Amino acid sequence: MKYISQILDIALRELDMLRKNRIYGFCMLVFPFALVLFFTTMLDEGVPKDLPIGVVDHDNSSMSRGLVRTLDAMQSSRVAYRFASVTEARNAMQEGKVYAYLYIPDGTAAKLLAGRRPKISYYYTMTCLSAGSMASKDLKTLSTLGSAAVGQAMLSAKGATSRQIRAALQPIAIDAHMIANPYGSYNYTLTTVFVPGILMLFMALLSAYSVGMELKFETGKDWLARADNKIVVAILGKYIVHAMVFALVIFLYQFYIFYVLHFPHLGGVWSIVRLTFLQILASIGFGIFAFGLMPSMRMSMSISSLWFVLGISMCGSAFPVMGMDTPLQAMSWLFPLRHYWMMYQVTVLNGFPVIDAWFHHVALIGFTLLPWFVLHKVKNAMLNYVYLS
Amino acid sequence: MSIFLNRLREHFADVFYIWWHEMVKVVKDEGVLMFLVIVPLGYPLLYSWIYNNEAVHEVPVAVVDQSHSALSRQFIHDCDATADVDVKYYAEDLDEARSLVSRQLCKGIYLIPSDFATNISRGEQGTISVYCDMSLMLAYKAVYQTAMVEAGRLGAGLNIKKAGNYTKREDAITAQPLAVDEVTMFNPSGGYGSCVLPAVLMLILQQALALGIGMAAGTARERNKNGQLIPNDDPHYRGAYQIVWGKALCYGMTGAIAAAYLSMAVPRMFSFPQLADGKTLFLMLLPYTIACIFFGMTVSCLVRYRENVMLLMVFVSVPLLFLTGVSWPQSSIPGAWQGVSWLFPSTFGVRAFIRVNSMGATINQILPDIRILWIQAAAYLGLACLVYRHQFRLARKYASD
Repeated sequence: MKYISQILDIALRELDMLRKNRIYGFCMLVFPFALVLFFTTMLDEGVPKDLPIGVVDHDNSSMSRGLVRTLDAMQSSRVAYRFASVTEARNAMQEGKVYAYLYIPDGTAAKLLAGRRPKISYYYTMTCLSAGSMASKDLKTLSTLGSAAVGQAMLSAKGATSRQIRAALQPIAIDAHMIANPYGSYNYTLTTVFVPGILMLFMALLSAYSVGMELKFETGKDWLARADNKIVVAILGKYIVHAMVFALVIFLYQFYIFYVLHFPHLGGVWSIVRLTFLQILASIGFGIFAFGLMPSMRMSMSISSLWFVLGISMCGSAFPVMGMDTPLQAMSWLFPLRHYWMMYQVTVLNGFPVIDAWFHHVALIGFTLLPWFVLHKVKNAMLNYVYLS
Repeated sequence: MSIFLNRLREHFADVFYIWWHEMVKVVKDEGVLMFLVIVPLGYPLLYSWIYNNEAVHEVPVAVVDQSHSALSRQFIHDCDATADVDVKYYAEDLDEARSLVSRQLCKGIYLIPSDFATNISRGEQGTISVYCDMSLMLAYKAVYQTAMVEAGRLGAGLNIKKAGNYTKREDAITAQPLAVDEVTMFNPSGGYGSCVLPAVLMLILQQALALGIGMAAGTARERNKNGQLIPNDDPHYRGAYQIVWGKALCYGMTGAIAAAYLSMAVPRMFSFPQLADGKTLFLMLLPYTIACIFFGMTVSCLVRYRENVMLLMVFVSVPLLFLTGVSWPQSSIPGAWQGVSWLFPSTFGVRAFIRVNSMGATINQILPDIRILWIQAAAYLGLACLVYRHQFRLARKYASD
């Protein structure tokens, strides 16, 4: 009972600190709000649409114009420029005006009808991967359609039914099931890792910051005194407030993406709640641990920010961990965001049983318990250190 | 005349003094040293290492073969032989395959239904179902596109057999009457590192400079007994312009070294694309580095505490990468965010660098970006002078109080 009233006392003191220092308001409310707004509006399209594409049409036949129109009508492509030569088109690509261009040489239609297998060329740049892969996807469809047009005309003239034509042109069809993200939306895959990733960064930074501030303004002794010098009670009282504020912010964010924007979450509401608490506790744990290792506000904050920014790459959501060098694969275990993301995609996105991600579950709990190793150092710092600027 | 010359001499003496003084601060303050030297040196190496393998190969896939036909085995065989897909598991049914995906043992499922070969033999369309785990876009593309390509190739083979041609040329015409040449112009292997890393390098330059300058300014404020940025007990700090020039010279030195290292040494060490012509690269990096320095100096005046600049810069770093148009196409960025992106040197610095470095653009082709970078450099220089003049007046006011 005594502990509970002490925790409450420290929590109220912390709440007062959060109110007085504007940094907390910014990092706990303003930045997360801006972040969610940024990513959800930025990626609102889901997949890049109407990328500017150029055309060099030397054939100028009804068939080549038909191809260009088909390309223009595709989801990802928009014929924005018509060039007189390939050089001109390449210059435009280097200037960043087009992501791809289609070259149709003179005599294409005539050769196609004569059965002499003409060749059209499609040039695209991979300096922006999402644009390049979309352009290449449209090209593949276009080339299939271009080839099929000839056969289709022939077969329908011979009186084949549309089913027969389909089977003749494409004997083997692929029936794709894009589980949990049927549109292939980048919004679903990017927003759900960048927003939590940066929020975790803020949680760790603020954890180190708030304990560092006690040192800087020499209020640490008062903080510990309120807990009868019991460091565990002091830490619980302090961070319970942080955890609650962040939980509120994260639940708001999740309500927005899962129930307003309808992001896929086959795992249901409890998988989301469980992951939220694990995420918060692991990040705060890491922040306290960083401070315990180096009881200086500046160093612990620098380490936390460098570590978590690196985590955004090391979590393997964009470039997979399985594609990295072996030492890096092992190192990825040291990043809380990696475990968060694995838990997210196994239990929330795909709705698989949590036992299949048990390792990452345990790892996040491990990060939560990390401060245990440095409790005495934090206490020592509070009681004996003097802040040096 | 001699009065004027004397003034000028004094002016330069002040500038050089502040330059030297700032340099000493950079070396002595471990926080500043970390962001101005260690981060630009070490971080790019780490990132390059992470992305060095460029592409994912041999993505594990489970196969559920209910057809058990020569054709289905041929398809599985063909997929397994590609660089992108590795057929690692054979599952009895879809549930078993699903549990393999759940346990992260594979990233996709190929299901070949029992009527697959029968349908094809009858002259109907045979269907293969592909189930993709969508958590990794690169893995999804590998699993899906391999199935598409191999199904197309297998289907073309069937058509050729049916056609009863005599020559290989006829076979080629049957398979594909209209040939399509697919040419990837820049970053031909579609490597992830070659695409993202040049952008990251340029962003690191801006962020490291802004963080370092901000940290140094924060330290200066904390050391000052009135909490002022500009010391009032040092006679050399007697004009806002001298201070701006002196500091710019100091950060220009570290910035120039970092820019050279990031743009030339790092891509070479990890064999990332390097098509840049030396002169063009210099003409592009010069306004970018200057713009970054004055941007950093402007930002450093806005923050009161050392830690705040870190929170701010770390917060904007990932959105800034998005605004450059390297991970999300520039043409798909909403107009409002395009407007916001004009505030940051990184937007145009990254775009110009990618065009010069990865696409071999000449100076004429990046002229619009360079013009904007010079405008930004001038605007941030003006802003830096304004905010420093304000700080200077504040410091004087405190001193006279």
